[in-house]
Amino acid sequence: MANILTVDDSPSIRQMIKLALAPAGHTVHEAGDGAQGLEKAKSTKMDLVITDLNMPVMSGMDLIKALRALPTQVGLPIVFLTTESDDGIKQQAKSAGATAWITKPFKSEQLIAVVNKLVRS
Amino acid sequence: MTAVDPVEVFRQEASELFEALEIALLDLIDRPDDHDLVDSAFRALHTIKGSGAMFGFVQVAAFTHEFETAFDLVRKGEVKPTGDLISVALTAKDYIRGLIEAPETMDSIIGDAILDDLRRLVDPARAAKPLAAAPAVEQPSASGAGWQLHLEFESHILRNGSNPLDYLDDLRSLGSCFVVAVVDDVPTLDELEPEYCYLKWDVTLSSACSRAAVEDVFMFVRDEMQLRIDPITADRVETPPKAAAVAPEPAREARPDLQLDLLPKSETATKESGDTSTSEKKRDDGRRPDDRQIATVRIPAQRLDELMDRVGELVIAQARLSQLAAAGDDLSIKMIAEEIERLAASLRDTTMGARMVPIGSLFSRFRRLVHDLSRDLGKPVEFVTSGEDTELDKTMIECLADPLVHLIRNAIDHGIEDTARRTAAGKTEQGRIELTATHSGAQVLVTVSDNGGGLDTARIRAKAEDQGLIAPGAVMSDQDIHQFLFHPGFSTAQTVSALSGRGVGMDVVKRTIENMRGSIDLATVPGQGASVTLRLPLTLAIIEGLLIRVDEGHYIIPLSAVEECVELTAADERSRGRNFLNVRGDLVPFLRLRDLFGTPGSPERHQKTIIISTGDTRVGLVADQIIGNHQTVIKSLSKLHSDVTMFSGATILGDGSAALILDIAQLVALAQSQSEKQQNRAA
Repeated sequence: MANILTVDDSPSIRQMIKLALAPAGHTVHEAGDGAQGLEKAKSTKMDLVITDLNMPVMSGMDLIKALRALPTQVGLPIVFLTTESDDGIKQQAKSAGATAWITKPFKSEQLIAVVNKLVRS
Repeated sequence: MTAVDPVEVFRQEASELFEALEIALLDLIDRPDDHDLVDSAFRALHTIKGSGAMFGFVQVAAFTHEFETAFDLVRKGEVKPTGDLISVALTAKDYIRGLIEAPETMDSIIGDAILDDLRRLVDPARAAKPLAAAPAVEQPSASGAGWQLHLEFESHILRNGSNPLDYLDDLRSLGSCFVVAVVDDVPTLDELEPEYCYLKWDVTLSSACSRAAVEDVFMFVRDEMQLRIDPITADRVETPPKAAAVAPEPAREARPDLQLDLLPKSETATKESGDTSTSEKKRDDGRRPDDRQIATVRIPAQRLDELMDRVGELVIAQARLSQLAAAGDDLSIKMIAEEIERLAASLRDTTMGARMVPIGSLFSRFRRLVHDLSRDLGKPVEFVTSGEDTELDKTMIECLADPLVHLIRNAIDHGIEDTARRTAAGKTEQGRIELTATHSGAQVLVTVSDNGGGLDTARIRAKAEDQGLIAPGAVMSDQDIHQFLFHPGFSTAQTVSALSGRGVGMDVVKRTIENMRGSIDLATVPGQGASVTLRLPLTLAIIEGLLIRVDEGHYIIPLSAVEECVELTAADERSRGRNFLNVRGDLVPFLRLRDLFGTPGSPERHQKTIIISTGDTRVGLVADQIIGNHQTVIKSLSKLHSDVTMFSGATILGDGSAALILDIAQLVALAQSQSEKQQNRAA
């Protein structure tokens, strides 16, 4: 169905996202940091990016900014994962260009709901 | 690809994160101002917290959250990472590790105590007050006929991946909607930016849902829109809102219109992005193919073991093929056999290479040990490692952990003197422990050395006499005396500390190393320090062996232990009962393998002696025939044979028959005890 990129330095999170989304027919691509994620998004047309914020090499915030700066990625829904209940981080990520967020811990159903919401149209 | 349980992946990942965290924390002791270290520690904590919560480790998440909150002050530069703070942080790390690995054994009282310590260190004023924020207050729910909404999105909302239509759909899931699009702000076509959103909406939502539920729909775009939510009074439900300039339509019918309005925009956007993405891709490919990513694949170690087993079997089958081909005349079969031999050899090397792991991962564990011991014993110790890149078989690295712990403990506990004694001896106050690994031919040398007082030969001797291991006044070289350290139950520590000196250890170390077909060398300079060198083979799975024959049976002697082969002369033969061999003036005890194995019949005429050695001890083994070198794939003996001492394993020969591998350490010990008995008898 959709090409979904998960960017997270934690393989277990990537695995969990993959297990949640693959059965719905989505192709889940993985990247371990922002820089890798950016390369993947450039080489494959993604329908949705799910990224962590706190990552080595290139943070999620920088990834969101970099993706938004690309003319090719206009309208690409970007969801970020955050453990913070603090709104400051969400605000920052939103003004960087993020579409939505998911607060960790989340259940597969929550993830699927957000994904369906953003990739259905 | 088979799906791996994410929880298992998390456990594995967590153990790597703990290692990274520990390294960062320990490095912080030396470089407290290094922000990268603080960041990497913080990131590890953050991931443990986030993933821990994901996979149901609630306590882990809660504890780590508090830990992280405290550590955040270090990250912000408000608190210095002092030695005390690092020590508590390390304890906290161990506690989290415990929560993940064996949650049932962990007591939350301990966790609370650790957190209290942490808080006291980072912020004495706020100690004992929980640092977590209070949960948000739930909004009271409104009841009524429904809600009148006015939605105005910021124009860039489409660019950021949100689609207002989705929010309208979500509203419909709450109840029935009348949706009216307000088109007042849509510019003329020449001014229209296709990526901008110009529409506004008025929605009449008939639902008993709460205001919070409505707000929830717009959670992600709350800051990028103007949202007005007004409760509907009873009479307003009857008639659609006056604000609706266009004739009100039911929601379902309104939708096609809305889509018509939006479609050109989104289509242009998609088309444009599609075009540029292709060109972007081309440019990218030309400039930089994805070359800097080092791809790694995680596989369970057990699969590698299985692979190694298969390769071992393949090598055996290939040997049989080569033997068969060599015996025949068919040239093409011979060529194929050679090709397969070459392939099997390179497959074997590749597989062995896949099992090789840099020893550095093991070394980093000991930094913690040295840190803790140095603190507990009040002896400042500098820990230096080198040769972290040296690769060793993974199984061996695991087996090496315990012996190295013993050696490092001994070095700090017994080797390094206390500060007063060091100062008196004109040494630096801080002791030094070095852990090095180097390649030496087909062996890897791992050395633990200290700059302490060195081995106390006189005391070891006194202790050995005490325990009746040697006769008082017997003439012995210092080196032989040092060997008593490896005797079971032998300890010279005057006081038994909690850490070492309980008399178990060195003998276990020796046995472990010998089980890996390695050996131990001791070196010491009185007053300047001691070093213990472990000599280890590169791999456990395949060795170069010397194939010999005793009567009908074939045996393998590890080639690394073989010094030379000599003929058993008639003169040596006649020395029956003494069993000593004259090798260039040295008397070397020898064992007749025929006698040892209880082989019936009489020995063949030209008996050969293979001189083997471990360390400085040489022993001759008498066999019927020496066949030659043999690439030996080691198969362990079954559990049934676990008490067989003379053989360390078995292998399968080219013709499919089995050969036993001789246990060199055991045979040398046996020969020594026999020669001692003979000497005693002679005396």
